[in-house]
Amino acid sequence: MSVSARRNVTVWTVLKWAVAIMVAVIAVFPVWWMVNVVFSLPGEPVSINPRLWPTSMSAGIDKIRMIFAETAYMRAYAVSLAYAGLTIFGVLLVGSLAAFEFALFEFRGKNVLFAVILLSLMVPTAATIIPTYLLTSSLGWLNSMQGLVVPGLASAFGLFMLVQFMRAIPRDMIEAARLDGANHFQIYWFVALPLSRNAMITLAILTFMQTWGNYMWPLIVGTRPDMYTVGQVVGLFNAPLSHQTVDVVMTANLLAAIPPLVFFLIFQKQIVEGIAMSGTKG
Amino acid sequence: MAFLDITSVTKSFGAVSVLKDVSLAIEKGEFVVFVGPSGCGKSTLLRMITGLEDPTSGTIAIDGEVVNDVEPAKRGTAMVFQSYALYPHMTVYQNMSFGLRMAGKSKAFIRERVERAASILRLEQLLDRKPAQLSGGQKQRVAIGRSIVREPRVFLFDEPLSNLDAELRVQMRAELMELHRRLGTTMIYVTHDQVEAMTLADKMIVMHAGRIQQAGAPLDLYDDADNRFVAGFVGSPKMNFLPARVAGSDANSVKLEAIAGTGSATLPFAGLPGALDAVELGLRPEHLRMVSPDAPTGGGLVLEGRVALAEELGAESYVHVDLADGTRVIARAGRDAARASQTARLVGDLDRVILFAPDGARLRGTGGPDA
Repeated sequence: MSVSARRNVTVWTVLKWAVAIMVAVIAVFPVWWMVNVVFSLPGEPVSINPRLWPTSMSAGIDKIRMIFAETAYMRAYAVSLAYAGLTIFGVLLVGSLAAFEFALFEFRGKNVLFAVILLSLMVPTAATIIPTYLLTSSLGWLNSMQGLVVPGLASAFGLFMLVQFMRAIPRDMIEAARLDGANHFQIYWFVALPLSRNAMITLAILTFMQTWGNYMWPLIVGTRPDMYTVGQVVGLFNAPLSHQTVDVVMTANLLAAIPPLVFFLIFQKQIVEGIAMSGTKG
Repeated sequence: MAFLDITSVTKSFGAVSVLKDVSLAIEKGEFVVFVGPSGCGKSTLLRMITGLEDPTSGTIAIDGEVVNDVEPAKRGTAMVFQSYALYPHMTVYQNMSFGLRMAGKSKAFIRERVERAASILRLEQLLDRKPAQLSGGQKQRVAIGRSIVREPRVFLFDEPLSNLDAELRVQMRAELMELHRRLGTTMIYVTHDQVEAMTLADKMIVMHAGRIQQAGAPLDLYDDADNRFVAGFVGSPKMNFLPARVAGSDANSVKLEAIAGTGSATLPFAGLPGALDAVELGLRPEHLRMVSPDAPTGGGLVLEGRVALAEELGAESYVHVDLADGTRVIARAGRDAARASQTARLVGDLDRVILFAPDGARLRGTGGPDA
């Protein structure tokens, strides 16, 4: 090892790595434990002499097959995916249209309106959930997809994030598009929207994470089993009167965690960049 | 009626009046440059011509048609922005064709127009690139290309060269002149750089504080400014202004004393307003020469002062001299002459002196040439 290379390895570097590895282990262990429990013979990982690695691939596959065969897990997957997909589409559409106006144009009452929207960020969900439920109920939307999706479309956070991003679009560019003969919607569609691509991807990811993990609203609004989301089905496995053993519960958990995990692995870079961006822009 | 007629146009933003009663006529095919310091209203005027701002009052007519209420895209104008305003997510081809696509033109038509513009601007090789992959000069050419494809009646340029380095600016200036010669379209160009204005313009319009100060050919403005502002703004180095007291005048001449403190001279000038007891002399640096102490003055205006700074430009040299009353003037000097001494003796060409009243208005003689 050369002198300069050796000098680079300081106590600080070692400490940094040690802390990073520790944090990674703490974060990864629950997921690993879940995999471990699923792919082992029942009872083995929680025995007096537990193993930290999977011992039986076939046991895991049997459990997964059993869950898919005996419960409405596939249907719940479909409901959750539709719920997440429609919410993402709706949030992006509503948010970007509103942000386009708020960020790039002047209109009467703009500041007051924006302040009201931001204020709604400060009201906890628990305070609004009953009025929202009552409204959804009186619309006859209980146990329906629109009941699940529509109340979540007006995302104040999403709007705020997109407004901050779109404010950075130079005014010249919008004016150039006007001179090029683009109408209001064409400016939005051909100029503002493509230029906000990164912010839109970030918002889509954050919305997916939030929707997939949303337990409370589907529980309240979708009481019929055919409207259960993955979260609710997992909840059933965990319920006090459930007769499932811990390894089956873990299998249900693992199946629920796979989509966000895959999603996170694919979009890791954008998620980190997007969160950093939403904090520093503007 | 001129091709582009601006009549009594005013513009206010709230209580702030940006343009005050501006009237202007521009002929077809002219290269017109609006020049003036920041905040003089030149960009606002340009934006009103293209429709990005509405006039508070007054009319703008293009080719006989009042366009105040016509949509920007339908006025037949195209604008090149200072920031280029290229769409970063589109290729050069898409940038240039955007306007035609919005107008619903056929693909073949668009391709033909874009390719023609690209060949004029030597952009053929760059059509598939994104703006981020282009140099400043190339971006500028794409921005111009985007205007050309629309074949507008009037081209508008809003300080298009300010983001380029000095060398590229000179090159692009030449390209713009060539483009104007080739297309023959009316071009209106906004800049705060009077050198740029002088080199490009058929007609130069000097603006200040929301008003047109003077309009005309660049050399006419240089030689025959209407007021102190225009005289001071046009030309580099700037015109020298020397305060003086009127000691007396007759039908054909005026006698001036205390010129910059100590100088005196008699100028040929007919009909100086009697009430004036103080005036200001304007004299361009090339008409004020630094001479050796024993050189003959030839009856010119003689001034003496201390050399504050010498600028050797290679082909010529200028000295900045502080005169007796503290006025700083710039004079042309021989090579190395400025460095040789601390004090300077300057001789001004009285035939080239122009006079200004204390309010900045040009004083013109009533009979024959005034200076």
